[in-house]
Amino acid sequence: MRWQLNPQTLKKIDRFKKIKVGYMSFLILAALSVLLATAELWVNNRALIVSYDETIYFPTYGAFIPGSTFDLGYDYETNYRDLKATLEASQRGWVILPLVPYNPFESDAQDGILRPTPPDPERGHFLGTDTTSRDILARLVYGTRTALLFALAFMISVYFIGVVIGCSMGYFGGAFDLIFQRFIEIWSNVPFLYMVIIVFSIIPIESSVAARVIILLVVMVLFSWTSMTYYMRTETYKEKSRDYVQAARVLGAGTLRIIFRHILPNVLATLVTFMPFTIVSAISAVTALDFLGFGLPVPTPSLGELLKQGTGNLRTAPWIVISAFTTLVMLLTIVTFIGEAIRESFDPKKYTLYR
Amino acid sequence: MLKRNLLRILLTAPLFALMGCGGGSSSDQANEPFPVIDNRQEVEQYYADHPDFFSFKSRAELPAGLTWEDGGNLPEVGSPLAKKGGMETVRLQDFPRTLRILGPDSNGSFRPWILDYTTMSMAHRHPDQMDFFPGLATQWAIDRPSRTVYVELDPDARWSDGVPITADDYLFMFWMHRSTYITAPWYNNWYSTQYTNITKYDDHLISITTVALKPDIDSKVLELRPLPRHFYQEVGKDFLERYQWRFAPTTSPYLIEPGDLKKGRSIQMTRDQNWWAKDKKHWRYRFNVDKINFMVIRDTPKVFEAFKRGDIDQFSMNLAEYWYEKLPSDDPDVVSGYIHKKLFFNQRPRPPYGLWINTAQPLLSDQNIRLGLQYATNWDLVIDKFFRGDYDRLNTANDGYGPYTASDIKARPFDIELAQASFAKAGFTERGPDGILRRADGTRLAFTVSSGYESLKDVLTILKEEAAKAGLEYRVEILDGTAGWKKVQEKKHELHFSAFGYSLELYPRFWETYHSDNAYDKAFLEDGSVNPDRVLKTQTNNLESLAMPEMDQRINAYRASTEADEMIALAHEMSQIHHDYASFVPGFYSGFFRIGHWRWVHYPPYFANKHAANHLEFFLHWIDEDERKATMDARKAGVTFEPVIESFEQYRRQEAP
Repeated sequence: MRWQLNPQTLKKIDRFKKIKVGYMSFLILAALSVLLATAELWVNNRALIVSYDETIYFPTYGAFIPGSTFDLGYDYETNYRDLKATLEASQRGWVILPLVPYNPFESDAQDGILRPTPPDPERGHFLGTDTTSRDILARLVYGTRTALLFALAFMISVYFIGVVIGCSMGYFGGAFDLIFQRFIEIWSNVPFLYMVIIVFSIIPIESSVAARVIILLVVMVLFSWTSMTYYMRTETYKEKSRDYVQAARVLGAGTLRIIFRHILPNVLATLVTFMPFTIVSAISAVTALDFLGFGLPVPTPSLGELLKQGTGNLRTAPWIVISAFTTLVMLLTIVTFIGEAIRESFDPKKYTLYR
Repeated sequence: MLKRNLLRILLTAPLFALMGCGGGSSSDQANEPFPVIDNRQEVEQYYADHPDFFSFKSRAELPAGLTWEDGGNLPEVGSPLAKKGGMETVRLQDFPRTLRILGPDSNGSFRPWILDYTTMSMAHRHPDQMDFFPGLATQWAIDRPSRTVYVELDPDARWSDGVPITADDYLFMFWMHRSTYITAPWYNNWYSTQYTNITKYDDHLISITTVALKPDIDSKVLELRPLPRHFYQEVGKDFLERYQWRFAPTTSPYLIEPGDLKKGRSIQMTRDQNWWAKDKKHWRYRFNVDKINFMVIRDTPKVFEAFKRGDIDQFSMNLAEYWYEKLPSDDPDVVSGYIHKKLFFNQRPRPPYGLWINTAQPLLSDQNIRLGLQYATNWDLVIDKFFRGDYDRLNTANDGYGPYTASDIKARPFDIELAQASFAKAGFTERGPDGILRRADGTRLAFTVSSGYESLKDVLTILKEEAAKAGLEYRVEILDGTAGWKKVQEKKHELHFSAFGYSLELYPRFWETYHSDNAYDKAFLEDGSVNPDRVLKTQTNNLESLAMPEMDQRINAYRASTEADEMIALAHEMSQIHHDYASFVPGFYSGFFRIGHWRWVHYPPYFANKHAANHLEFFLHWIDEDERKATMDARKAGVTFEPVIESFEQYRRQEAP
């Protein structure tokens, strides 16, 4: 099947492109996503390429290379910054380091003391270091990546549940609708943040970082899917009574097919306009949880954790809070701009008095 | 009193930050709708039912030939230079949940202010000399053969409501601590098992008998604090609710006057102008501040900001971050002499900060792995880089007990080779693609290190990074303080980073932490072999689940021993066994405390006493309100004073390198 966009959609995309702020934001976010996806290549303590005794190594991805490979006398992970210095002296090879030669976990204590140091491009700390001398840019990059991935996964899960339940409510109506409406009313009144905190502190968390992130995600999704159902329910109600649905039914289409093939594409507009705002709220929520110490496990880099460090060291290390705050504001602004632009380009009332 | 609890200092509990503080007006005691209770008869009946424990004799029956001591020759505590007056503002981490000193929630951060630091016991250890100076007693006599201490009570002693303190308040204290009404099992147990008798000879003469003759029998008895019999007449089933917000008559110089407690908002304490001990030697130069105003601030960085503004008078700066970065010696306020910095080296039992290894966990039961952990944990780097070399390496779990500390035992250094050799003996020979060692069957060498110390999470991050070099993965788990404590109490931890807060005691305890009774229900069978069905015992301080017959045997001998020399020898042997067993990775201790204070706060010339735990413990400081005003005016006008940065090293112990 050939990928074909219907003229309506093409028109919407066209309108989106015309909204400059939104379109630019979209391009920036796209570029940012590419950069974040390849973060290992430009923010990493592993070298890009090492040439040693005529052998070329690419340490970035894959298993660690012990120091003994380069005759450094230890069998834990090679310190490539040291290796570079060693090789420059011994002339046995060369090393190409990434732009920021640090990973988000290692401390680079400059005078043997762990403390925040101001930005120092010469050492590769473009935004300075945090309270335990870890590179802020590295932590920002990996923290933002986690936050974005998290928000994306969150959005997909929330929308999936919200769409399925919301559409079913609208489509089936009757007792099903009534019961679910009441249930959702009760469920959505459970204070989301408290529940996340309570549930997350009860769950036994011996598991790996990844598992804990997933638990956090599940808990957050569990208490956030409800708002989407309202919109989907009303939209489905509206669409359900349209002729094309009746026609599909007469042709013998099953319930699932009608909902997902016929109704869903027609209510997609609503869905799409909400997406960026869900992402924004997911990023804010996970940042807030981190700030409170209930989010991602230590020492996972995260925006919230940096913000917390920053507010605790406002006077002595303002660069921490400036970096974290600017990143957060920029990220949220960009996504919000995109959201506004999408909303506007999907708005059927093109010529309105209120513009 | 002697309860050991995990150090709750430095902990932040963000959960509560969210909960918001419910309002609530000042406590209205008049309208409490509680039914009338009068327990006098019940208490008398209890005394009658336990004639072995509660005895009544006449003064004539006092044994002859007792040697009385009164500690009167001990030097004064505090300085005659001290001036009374002024108001000090103090930070509280959270609002006290109760004013009770017994029962749930009573062991919070407010307790020292209404109990430990301020109230009087019969006698107190002199903070320089360790001998006892009189409090509520005038003299005492120790009869070792009968394990009994005779105490002559001061007839002048009064509760803050003017009622005399008599022998009855001590009898009652035992009743109350043994009562189930207070919902405090630890106290129930302690006061039932550690003492065997209290005898009233007359209103001002009692004797108390302990269960065993220990070298510190004097402190076991003399540090008891009476409870006001007349106030607790209504103690019954509803004790917890009834007494939740009642401020008890006290022996403390500081009172919460009616209206000074606004629940969830503010508390003030006022110095009792009629305090009965105000002119007594050892007491007269202390407790100088007229009013203490408590300010609830949760985050330490915010406390520091409040201190810098002058809202708070003094600030503890034990963390290097504050001492060096946030208030460095070239800070304008320090250079201009507005804020003084003081560093004091003390001598006392050190809280054993380190990794407590739960040997009941599968891999951790392997001695080789534990040895590997010792070598793979880089505390020296933590001390050098995080604490900036100010702290020292802890060598055993019981450092700071003078001769009782086995000073020839040294903690194992960070050594990748030795760590890997030990891990290899346990079968961990290959490194996986992530650099972590693994067994042939794919088991990774990874353990969870949990902790309730939010503010020390960076310490664990450093250990994690360093351990990776030895092929070991530490998974760091930072919990809320309460949750962390709960986890170790349920023995669900693998490794736990924490410390016990030890009070000033003569010799360390081993039973709580190393006896098999506290590790398992019936750890060994009759024939001495390991009980295959043994179950971990929860809610004890044996965090290492350590159960060794040879340790048990020595602990029993140690507890029964009455000879200091024998106890010292046993303590050394036990420390050695513990060291060899390698179930505790000794971390660090700080041999000092340090503070910053505004220049209107004054301390005695020697600053603090040898065994002081912190600058507040003995209330030696005083506040000059005129100077406060002058300082603030000078600061506005840009007038400066001589800067004061002092280090008090008179009790600094020179450690062997």
